[in-house]
Amino acid sequence: MLNTAIVGIGATEFSKDSGRSELRLAAEAVRAALDDAALRPADVDGLVTFTMDTNAEIAVARELGIPELRFFGTIGYGGGAACATVAHAAMAVATGAADVVVCYRALNERSGRRFGRVVAGAVTAPTTSGVDNGWHYPMGIATPAATVAMAARRYMHVYGATSEDFGRVTVADRRHAATNPHAWFYQRPVTLAEHQASRWIVEPLRLLDCCQESDGAVAVVVTSAERARDLPHRPAVIRAAAQGAGPDQYMMTSYYRDDLTGLPELGVAARQLWRQAGLGPAEIRTAVLYDHFTPYVLMQLEELGFCAPGQARDFIADGAIEMGGRLPLNPHGGQLGEAYIHGMNGIAEAVRQVRGTAVNQVPGDGPVLVTAGTGVPTSGLILS
Amino acid sequence: MTPADAIREAAARLAAAGDSRPRAARDPVNRPMIRNWFEALGGGGDPDPDHAPPAMIQVWTMPGLHGVRGDDDPLGQMSRVLDEAGYTSVVATNCDQAYHRYLKPGEQLSVQARLLDVTGPKRTALGEGWFVTTRSTWFSSGEPVATMDFRILKFRPPAPAVRTSAVRTPAATSPPTISPTSPTSPSDHTRPPGPTTWLSQSRRQDDMVAAITSLRPQVTPDNSFFWAGTALGELRIQRCASCGALRHPPGPMCPACGVPGDGGYVVAAGTGEVFSYVVHHHPPVPGKRLPMVVALVQLPEGVRMVGEMPGVRPDLVRIGLPVRATLVQVDEDLTLPAWRPAEGVLPDRVIDVTPTFVISSALATRDFQDVHHDRDRAVARGAPDIFLNILTTAGLVQRYVCDWAGPDAVVRGISIRLGVPCHAGDTLTLTGQVAQDDAAGQVIAVTGRCRLGDHVTGTVRITRC
Repeated sequence: MLNTAIVGIGATEFSKDSGRSELRLAAEAVRAALDDAALRPADVDGLVTFTMDTNAEIAVARELGIPELRFFGTIGYGGGAACATVAHAAMAVATGAADVVVCYRALNERSGRRFGRVVAGAVTAPTTSGVDNGWHYPMGIATPAATVAMAARRYMHVYGATSEDFGRVTVADRRHAATNPHAWFYQRPVTLAEHQASRWIVEPLRLLDCCQESDGAVAVVVTSAERARDLPHRPAVIRAAAQGAGPDQYMMTSYYRDDLTGLPELGVAARQLWRQAGLGPAEIRTAVLYDHFTPYVLMQLEELGFCAPGQARDFIADGAIEMGGRLPLNPHGGQLGEAYIHGMNGIAEAVRQVRGTAVNQVPGDGPVLVTAGTGVPTSGLILS
Repeated sequence: MTPADAIREAAARLAAAGDSRPRAARDPVNRPMIRNWFEALGGGGDPDPDHAPPAMIQVWTMPGLHGVRGDDDPLGQMSRVLDEAGYTSVVATNCDQAYHRYLKPGEQLSVQARLLDVTGPKRTALGEGWFVTTRSTWFSSGEPVATMDFRILKFRPPAPAVRTSAVRTPAATSPPTISPTSPTSPSDHTRPPGPTTWLSQSRRQDDMVAAITSLRPQVTPDNSFFWAGTALGELRIQRCASCGALRHPPGPMCPACGVPGDGGYVVAAGTGEVFSYVVHHHPPVPGKRLPMVVALVQLPEGVRMVGEMPGVRPDLVRIGLPVRATLVQVDEDLTLPAWRPAEGVLPDRVIDVTPTFVISSALATRDFQDVHHDRDRAVARGAPDIFLNILTTAGLVQRYVCDWAGPDAVVRGISIRLGVPCHAGDTLTLTGQVAQDDAAGQVIAVTGRCRLGDHVTGTVRITRC
């Protein structure tokens, strides 16, 4: 897409208690990404982050000593923003609005504000989203897990998927994380039996269906493919970048559509990704699929066209998502295994897979797919 | 031999010993005690003059204020083995009673007990422990008339935390082996069998945080008709004045025809079926008791709505379940739509658990353990107040179902799982639902909830005579 590439990646350590401000985490990750790209703060003229990020672009620019910003913005809809930060950066670079744009996300999500708790502000916010939440929060659908559980139950009912089918995603992610020294669950794989024994959070979701809570930050640097040629790493060329929102869209609670068994907003993004990149699911080498909750990984496989609707459980049952399988999933361990950095750590992993420097490197030269938060307006990337 | 092996060997020996010697009831089945029981447990109506309430079965053979357990009592013997192995605390977990026939005044009963099963060591929320199940069989003139399987958890209490607080809590005055969750001390095993105590309340503390405030919707010009409706007892669905399209959740402009809304609505029939649902266990949700069922309901009008199914047993909810709308008034400013199963629901019974209720029901069931009538002793044992005894809880469950089922119902059995304690000053709400209904009879699922959570869950099997 648009002759752009990711040329630098940076991250803090992933922990449960960073002991530092979110702004400091952001500054550390951005600086690390610039060092990785062999660029200086003065080269940066654009910053993009999530609407949910607490660190304003100007605050990050101040800490980094970035003198001027020509392009800046935030993307809404929670983790659905992840790949969209890169999409917006690429569009800015392609149009000449900026030359070097850094996308960042920093959060003390475990030691600070925990997204898994009931956040009363979500229903009192004087916004359309606040009003929307008034149809669910007071009735008891008041956490991300609860919102996903409602769709997961329907999906199980219609397609016969089971809790064990969901658990296979966890097992694959944790197995991959077990060999990733940066992962919180390094050397700590789990078995399907352990998944099945984990406690209910919101039935049909168990604890091990839910991603972890993490402190940390990730940043990636986007510039033109032309400029990338002068930088040290093999560029991760942005073959496709897209956003998507679907019919009758809500945040996590699109319960009023005909059925609850798919992710139409991801379908919108997926159709653009395949068209922009000029390729299809069969050509994808490895996929980093957003795994805040396991059922949505199955639905993503279907919505992206890796398998037909309802058949993801068969697709993953034969080991297709393990290393060496047909579609190795989340080789870094995903957000269930590595860390929950709102999807940005998945983009960094995709870049490593393109460079050939991942700890669990998937062999070959094929393109890598990344998705962002699902059940919300979302986004995706294809890098190669 | 490991300690676990020694416990298993003792269990095998006690189980092989079979039934204890028959122990005779002190008095025959009699009308005065039936009347006392009826009065104390409440619920109205008059006792059947010809039959004893089946859930009184254990009452007849309770040993009385100064009674002692026989030296061949299997629960007492097994408890001593576990005490010596360090599993000194105890909670009752299950009580399953089967009634072969109803008893008549004048019948003289005896009871025998044997050890059925000992399993462990198990890791539980309370600590490592062993489940001990005994079976009691009651006889009338040699004829078996009822059985009861009673299960307790004997557990090793967690090491007491170092107290750094300068304030002495009531629990600090308790004997060392007694925690708020285990008011029955090892020495109590020389006391009459039966009234053990209730499962831990600690697991519920987290959920308790919730019951403080509620999450409230924002009322806007676009949705005010809906909330005005719930306050009046109506479930309203937005209707486009131009094209007639129905829509929920409502909005300011009809997506079908583009005409702005004029506040128009239709009143829903109040029926629907479960399109999907969740059972929320964690984390706490303000104003909600957990676990709770929240359903997405498909209305016949063509829209869907989210609502809680308060008090419903999660395992009885399924996709496709017919439901009926109900309105739950949270406070004077907020009434929420909610849903209940459309059929087979028993009316709630709300019991004001006064000290008088706790004490009179404990005495009417001939349970003289101090934690059921002496507040100071209950507090000294770590409880906030006196609390209901198990025989009363079983009786309340039986009465609740019989009051609903009518005089032609015959109770064949009760199977209850014991949850959090219900203290004086609390309110116990019994809810019930028909879980099974076929030629073999009906199974009624009953839940009794109090402030701390589920006090009792269980089933009552009835047939019709």
